[in-house]
Amino acid sequence: MTAARLGRVARQRLAEPAIWLAIALLPLWLGNWQVAQLAQFFTYGILALSLAFVWGQGGLLCFGQAVFFGIGAYGMSLVTLGMLPGQSGPGSSFLGLAVAVLLPAAFANLLGRFLFYGRGLQGAYLGIVTLAIAVIAERVAVNWDYLGGLNGLMNVPPFTLTIDGEARELWQPREVYYLTLGAAVFTYLLLRALIASRYGTVVRAIRDGAERVGFFGYDTAAYRATVFTVGAAVAGLAGGLFVTLFNFASPPLIGFTLSTEVLIWVALGGRGNLLAAFLGALVVRFLEDLLSERFDVYWLLLLGLLFVLSVVLFPRGIIGELLHRLGIGESE
Amino acid sequence: MDQALLLALDAGSYILAIVLVAMGLVIIFGLMRVINMAHGELFLLGAYCVVAVEGAGGNFWLGLLLAPFAVGLVGLVVEQLVVRHVYHRFLDSILATWGLSIAIKQAVVLGFGPASQQVSLPIAGSLSLLGTDYPVYRLFIMAVSLAVVGFTFWIFFRSDFGLKARSVIANRDMAACLGINTRRLDRTTFAYGAALAGLAGAVMAPIMSVDPQMGLGFLVPAFLSILVGGSGHLAGALVGATVIGGTDSVTAALWSPVAAQIVVFTMAVIAIRLFPDGVVGKRRRQGRRFFGERR
Repeated sequence: MTAARLGRVARQRLAEPAIWLAIALLPLWLGNWQVAQLAQFFTYGILALSLAFVWGQGGLLCFGQAVFFGIGAYGMSLVTLGMLPGQSGPGSSFLGLAVAVLLPAAFANLLGRFLFYGRGLQGAYLGIVTLAIAVIAERVAVNWDYLGGLNGLMNVPPFTLTIDGEARELWQPREVYYLTLGAAVFTYLLLRALIASRYGTVVRAIRDGAERVGFFGYDTAAYRATVFTVGAAVAGLAGGLFVTLFNFASPPLIGFTLSTEVLIWVALGGRGNLLAAFLGALVVRFLEDLLSERFDVYWLLLLGLLFVLSVVLFPRGIIGELLHRLGIGESE
Repeated sequence: MDQALLLALDAGSYILAIVLVAMGLVIIFGLMRVINMAHGELFLLGAYCVVAVEGAGGNFWLGLLLAPFAVGLVGLVVEQLVVRHVYHRFLDSILATWGLSIAIKQAVVLGFGPASQQVSLPIAGSLSLLGTDYPVYRLFIMAVSLAVVGFTFWIFFRSDFGLKARSVIANRDMAACLGINTRRLDRTTFAYGAALAGLAGAVMAPIMSVDPQMGLGFLVPAFLSILVGGSGHLAGALVGATVIGGTDSVTAALWSPVAAQIVVFTMAVIAIRLFPDGVVGKRRRQGRRFFGERR
């Protein structure tokens, strides 16, 4: 093994943990406000991970990923506010998280079965159908009084741990920072393992040639439905966590705008690489906070053009291209 | 009876408005397999073209006349700069045009501000139809839409250009071998689709609140119309728009506009799933039978 090759292997092995470690150490230098902001961005990052899995690996261009994020957010809110039918008091945060993961997953599974079986939808058709679903979901949320209508659900409690019978609310910036970062790392490792597994190989094969994989006897529709489900579960987790930080679930979380934003993060970051997608969400959101106050409309103009540029010139995404050149991250 | 007639007129007006937007979309999709997400913003540009002309002291009709050319020109530029790079990457074309739509929308916000603009109604008054009064301008819009549909069908089925376009759709490589300049055809078609969107925006401007978000309101129904009707067929857009627009108007009248949108979109999703080739569609093989098989 030559030194150069050794160096490359070391870089591949060490780069990812190093990046995560760097993120974990960030609070040492940052103020409370930035730490709290980053904690929120991590939940967006998890949402980006979910789309990178569904789109990058599964090849399912979903224009409605925020629907699952929103269902997770509303699910978490309903449980911790004690508003579910038959609930006697506020439920625990863990119950909320379970609902936030399972509810969107169940919905996505039903939807996936409906959309993918038979002469299933794919490509652009799927994109437009999911776009319509996002619009419907937002309309429903706005007009459903149980969910608070246009105002949404307010005063959602922070994430609460019970230690020795004592309830402890996590709301300090550094606490929520590591809570959401932990969730992000967990999700990342989980999805990475899925991608590296046999299952992941089949999913990628279906992305590249569904018909051929079908001829080998694989049930491609079932695989697509599970990809959709896993993506929705992860997006729901992100939504559930988000609402404990934001304390407030409202229709924009479920709708069309957030769905397209996450698409932009993932496209700019890189759909073929989980880490790139996660960083994409972080970087875009960070720049948005930094620039949008001063350059309001110019920022969106810039983002739109950057998005076009990245789609045309860097299909791997800007960060993805960078990581790819450095040989970091999973193979596509 | 009056009620029913009014409802029918409203439905007709909405259907023809969707058709106007969908026509450009389906042409671009049919010829180039490009899902143009920026179509709503081209519509928007058409409306703002009228606003700009009126602001500069011109009258509405001048704006209406100018809009298709101005927006068609934008279409040419956009095609040259962006769209031609993603012709062979189907999904990327959605994303690229989506990015364009964001950029165009923001450019409009920069130029005209985020507030909604008013365009004066160029033809006031109403006409009595079988005892029901109906605004003349709405009838005018319906007439424009019908004229556009007629003109487009004529172009694609009776003109030289249409023959070439259909041959490119049938077999791009063979058409190129026969000496058809497919590159120029793509460019022209995209510009024509864009011009139609611009015309639609301009003609609709007086009866809508012209604001930077107005594009999306028509884009989604137009897309759903195309998919419901069948994207492999020029007539599919007409049928789809009739189904979508008709259901929307009727549900809105009988129930509420909000419920109508939810019902229509849900119905469309189910219809698209059950009939992926559209309700009028025959099975399409790589777009080979686009625009039907007439002649």
